[in-house]
Amino acid sequence: MIKTTALKKSFGDNHVLRGVDLHIRRGEIVAIIGPSGSGKSTFLRSLIGLERIDDGSIFIQDQALAENGRYPNERTCRRVCAGMGMVFQHFNLFPHMSVRNNLTAAPLAAKKLTVEEAERKCADLLARVGLGDKIDAMPSSLSGGQKQRVAIARALMMDPDILLFDEPTSALDPELTGEVLAVMKDLTDTGITMVIVTHEMGFAREVADRVIFMDGGVVAVDGSPEEVFTNPGNDRLRSFLGAL
Amino acid sequence: MSLQELSNIFTILMQGITYTLIVFAVTIVLSIPLGLLLTFASRSRIAPLRWLTRGYVFIIRGTPLMLQLFFVYFGLPFLPVIGPYLKLGRLAAANIAFVLNYAAYFCEIFRGGLLSIDAGQYEAAKVLGFGRFRTMIQIILPQMFKVALPSVANETITLVKDTALVSVIGLSDLMELSKKLVNSMVNVTPYIIAAAIYLVLIFGLTKLFERLEKKAAY
Repeated sequence: MIKTTALKKSFGDNHVLRGVDLHIRRGEIVAIIGPSGSGKSTFLRSLIGLERIDDGSIFIQDQALAENGRYPNERTCRRVCAGMGMVFQHFNLFPHMSVRNNLTAAPLAAKKLTVEEAERKCADLLARVGLGDKIDAMPSSLSGGQKQRVAIARALMMDPDILLFDEPTSALDPELTGEVLAVMKDLTDTGITMVIVTHEMGFAREVADRVIFMDGGVVAVDGSPEEVFTNPGNDRLRSFLGAL
Repeated sequence: MSLQELSNIFTILMQGITYTLIVFAVTIVLSIPLGLLLTFASRSRIAPLRWLTRGYVFIIRGTPLMLQLFFVYFGLPFLPVIGPYLKLGRLAAANIAFVLNYAAYFCEIFRGGLLSIDAGQYEAAKVLGFGRFRTMIQIILPQMFKVALPSVANETITLVKDTALVSVIGLSDLMELSKKLVNSMVNVTPYIIAAAIYLVLIFGLTKLFERLEKKAAY
């Protein structure tokens, strides 16, 4: 589904990714954990073209987004990434649009849905994330947890095969993380491949099929939640988990 | 002063308002889109286009509007080759100088507005499959205009008063006519009436922009 080989990325002298090899299979729920600066967000963002890698390859559903550090033209990149959605730490809702328009703008712009279809789907998805009554609200009137649930619904409007989450609860007050995690957990039985960069260890342990521990720009540990949390063999992982 | 005299002053000044309003309207209608184009040019991927825009804004903001008026009206006809085709009427010269001048200021206002928009907005648009053009039109510009609105209001109000400068190239606007009346009557009443007229215009604009700002709030 997602395959990266020898992925490298630097910001100036700061080598953030030093050769990431990872193969994520269809339908997997993958949690990526690691200390800040380990490159986990950069890695996630590079999968959907928000960061340009310097070297290595990225294949999304067998199509090359980057091959040996070279990218195809913009149109091709957009097509390769079309099957992916992303949820951001800071939600990034469009503040000048109602919740309804936040959801319907993209599928309408892409002519993926008719107005009636988009409206129906919008209502369904908002109901699914528990915000059916907020369809005409403006983002500024929502709480952080509500905003993030709208953002998840917005990403689902495009029927993604893959959904990327970049620290989806890190900007939320602790009492609001639960509602967002519940919505995410609800998505795990839809067959959507989910890649989640998170600091919520409890959530990763409970929901993920597979946990990746990134450290120093590489995949340091790759295993089941039991292997990673119950019996961490790696010293760095042990001290990372111990420090939490 | 009799009521008759006051009414005469007012009637004469109203003729000047026509020019004041024409220059104002032409400048607003043309300089805002032109300023927006300059903003895009100043952020273009083509470096020479960016330098050209920078240079243009520097020259326009770095010289007095009065000088620019003189240049367009008196100076352009002296340019080699094309000069003879650039003999403009007073009103045309005034309009061109004002549009060119205000476009540079609007360019900077809009540029500032764009800078205030969070990178996350572009990223969200990108991952949702919006192309460059649609991202600008549907996501970025509506937010930019909201940020820019108070500055645009300020600039628009300044413009009303700046139109008084057209009197230096002999256009009979509100300012020019009130000056002539003061000189001939040896009495400052026409200035007071002119001031009142400017205030009324600006009061209306202030109210208009207050409403626009309320409308743009989200």
